[in-house]
Amino acid sequence: MNRNLNKTIRYSLIKIGLIPISLWIISSLVFLLLRVAPGDPVDAILGSGATLEARETLRANLGLNESILSQYYTFLKNLSQFNFGDSLSNQEPVIEIICKALPASLELGFFSFVLAIIIGFPLGYLGLKNKEKSLDGISRIIGISSYAIPPFWGAMMAQLLFSVVFRIFPIGGRFPIFDEQPSITGFIILDSLLKNNLSALTGSLYHIALPSLTLGFLLSGVFSRSFRINLEKSLQSDYVDAAVCRGVNDRNILYKYALPNALIPILTISGVTLASLAGGALLIELTFSWPGIALRLQQAIFQRDYNLVQGIVIVTSFLIVSLNLIIDILIALFDPRIKY
Amino acid sequence: MFLQNKFKDYKFFVFIFLLTFINFSCSNKNNSEKIILASSGKIESLDPARVNTIKSLQIINSLGDTLYEFSKDGQLIPKLALGMPSFSEDKLKIFINLREDVFFHDGTKFDSKAMKFTINRFQNIGTTNYILENKIKSIETPSKYRLVINLNKPSSSIEGLLTSQNLTPLSPEFYKDFNNKFLNDEFVGTGKYILKRFSNEVQILEPNINYWGAKPKNKGINIVGYSNSNSLYGALKSKQIDVLLSNSIDDSQRDKLRKLSDNLKIKEGRSSPNEISFISLRTNKKPFDNLNIRRAIAQSLNRKLISEKVSYGLRKPSKTIVPLIFKKDKKAFWPSYNTEEAKKILRDEGFCNGKILNLPLTYRSNVPTDKLIALSWQQDVNASMNDCLSIEINGLESTTIYKNLSEGIYSAVILDWIGAYSDPEAYLKPLLSCKEFKGSNCLQGESVFSGSFWASQEIENLFKESESVYGIERLNKLIKIEKIASESIPYIPLWISSQKAWSQKYISKPIFNGAGQIIMSELKNIDE
Repeated sequence: MNRNLNKTIRYSLIKIGLIPISLWIISSLVFLLLRVAPGDPVDAILGSGATLEARETLRANLGLNESILSQYYTFLKNLSQFNFGDSLSNQEPVIEIICKALPASLELGFFSFVLAIIIGFPLGYLGLKNKEKSLDGISRIIGISSYAIPPFWGAMMAQLLFSVVFRIFPIGGRFPIFDEQPSITGFIILDSLLKNNLSALTGSLYHIALPSLTLGFLLSGVFSRSFRINLEKSLQSDYVDAAVCRGVNDRNILYKYALPNALIPILTISGVTLASLAGGALLIELTFSWPGIALRLQQAIFQRDYNLVQGIVIVTSFLIVSLNLIIDILIALFDPRIKY
Repeated sequence: MFLQNKFKDYKFFVFIFLLTFINFSCSNKNNSEKIILASSGKIESLDPARVNTIKSLQIINSLGDTLYEFSKDGQLIPKLALGMPSFSEDKLKIFINLREDVFFHDGTKFDSKAMKFTINRFQNIGTTNYILENKIKSIETPSKYRLVINLNKPSSSIEGLLTSQNLTPLSPEFYKDFNNKFLNDEFVGTGKYILKRFSNEVQILEPNINYWGAKPKNKGINIVGYSNSNSLYGALKSKQIDVLLSNSIDDSQRDKLRKLSDNLKIKEGRSSPNEISFISLRTNKKPFDNLNIRRAIAQSLNRKLISEKVSYGLRKPSKTIVPLIFKKDKKAFWPSYNTEEAKKILRDEGFCNGKILNLPLTYRSNVPTDKLIALSWQQDVNASMNDCLSIEINGLESTTIYKNLSEGIYSAVILDWIGAYSDPEAYLKPLLSCKEFKGSNCLQGESVFSGSFWASQEIENLFKESESVYGIERLNKLIKIEKIASESIPYIPLWISSQKAWSQKYISKPIFNGAGQIIMSELKNIDE
């Protein structure tokens, strides 16, 4: 056991050591692709009516008239000091923009993930419990359709139904515009709790409900299907049969024998889901005007704001790589079959 | 059994959860008396030296005042100036007397030094300071309320420039640490509203109780930005907002809003038309360097059909690149739609009868209307001139197009333009002016950046002459510039649009000033 733990720690340290290399490769690729892509931040800032002199002056001010190599050297030098530079479009430090937008995305991501589990697991379980019955059919249809529906369409329909037709939820935004937003950490729900501000808490929950339910529903299919399949497999395994023969009751069989083993593959899937969460978040943030990092990234790309795009991609990559590493470690700890 | 009980609990919690939100959604309406105004996109900055988006300029218009502004009928009227500007005999000095009863939001007094500070700041760090074109040499403040602007050369367009929101006076005291850098999230000006709160998505404006002029008719404006057209439309329809201000919502939704307005369900307000859409033709590339070919292409454009098909007739077909509000005679010069004539020209030039002229037309793929324009024109040409002309369409993201325009990559491209200030020159110069040219080929200048590469010595002379004459004489020269351009067809005007806003029944109808900006202070709650 100790030997395996040591190996797991060694494996984790190697993986942690690889993170900077992964980030360097990702950031270099983004740096290069942005410069190769057509378009110019100067045009995005000044518009098409600016004079040649104005363009050249701005280009020089932004350091864009330097050679690519020189720009890359400056970029790497700044990056080594965790400095992403200033946004080309509004001269604000990139890190400040990220710090403003990231909590919104993390909050949405967290709630969506939790809701995906809350929707997905019972749905999978209901299907299995009522195998080959109508509930199973419904569970399968919901599960499959949730990941078959294009996120932009699903989000638009949710907005149309629940915000415009039934008027249950707000059409967009993160917080009621006529209330003062609490600001400590940037996570509004957490800040509302820290400040004991019930009105802010209900306001922020009211705003996050529809986007997170939509994204959660769209991700829930993965959980419901995999949970159903893995639980079924676990329930049909020899160790469950052995437990039944020993007279273990149904509840213990489910919670002590079948469920823990069914959850291990789902832990693996969670890593993949987290990555798709980042992709799906863009469409959700765009539809619900959610002021998160994905929406900011989209705007930065349109503006060819090189520094901001680079900063966002690096931070997002770091988060995804780190979360995947945590999941890898958790799998290694929980699944004795995994050896490093 | 155990699982069935759990399932019942689960349903119970879902029921409670939904009930809570239904309850909250019913109670959480706009209980404040402020008006909620929604628009598209976010605001990066409220620094007049930096902003160049319509939405930011709209807000600055409410938070600050300019020296002059344009009335609805296009007349220059003084605002922070006490009267109309006077000029020295050599036209190199402008004398402006300022109002003495104006205070900034921080309590300091507005005076000539504040105006000088603002203009100098814009000259130094202004993102769009190129609009001044080095016209201003220096600024003098001979007394507290008298401003003298020294010009490098006579400039009749300077009056129009003084209406620019980029020159909205700022408190020198408040901005003393921001003389050489932008202050994005605060604003201290002299306007009817004070900025209470700013974020990229939400801006809260409260009435300035010390305002020197007529006070706002509402108790404040909450401005919110939504990232897409559907949200804006849905928010107005579900009454989550009071006013919708946006020109970027889809034409199909604009049409629906018009119908709602016709049925008196909402109110629609519009500005004088100020946004032109046109097709830029690259005139230094064969065969489009041939005037006859350009004329034939211009005559193949069925503006009326495109307006009806694409914008449901909401955007007015236009044969001018200068909004008619600036032209007293309202004349439009560009060639009309005439396929027979176009075919005749193309036949004379050796096309038709098996030899088809191919026009590569580029459109901005992120502007939904552009694609529809391109497709409609393509189909109309296929139907009426398929033996002579074909249009090959290609969509590219707008940032890419703007970058490549001056590289001469596109033979024809769909673009639009709003003048940086309310003056015909603000429409003509960015499209037609050229600094260095050979024959009619522009090598360096604005027409290169607009993708036409067209130049004319006569036009350059007229631009120069127009700077030293005023009033109707100046206007005639500018109109003559447009007439010359219309005969050479470096551009084909398509339509002209107004800025629009829609309000709920319980809010007054939105009204706009002469610069196409909504007057927020006129919005008020009324009984249904």
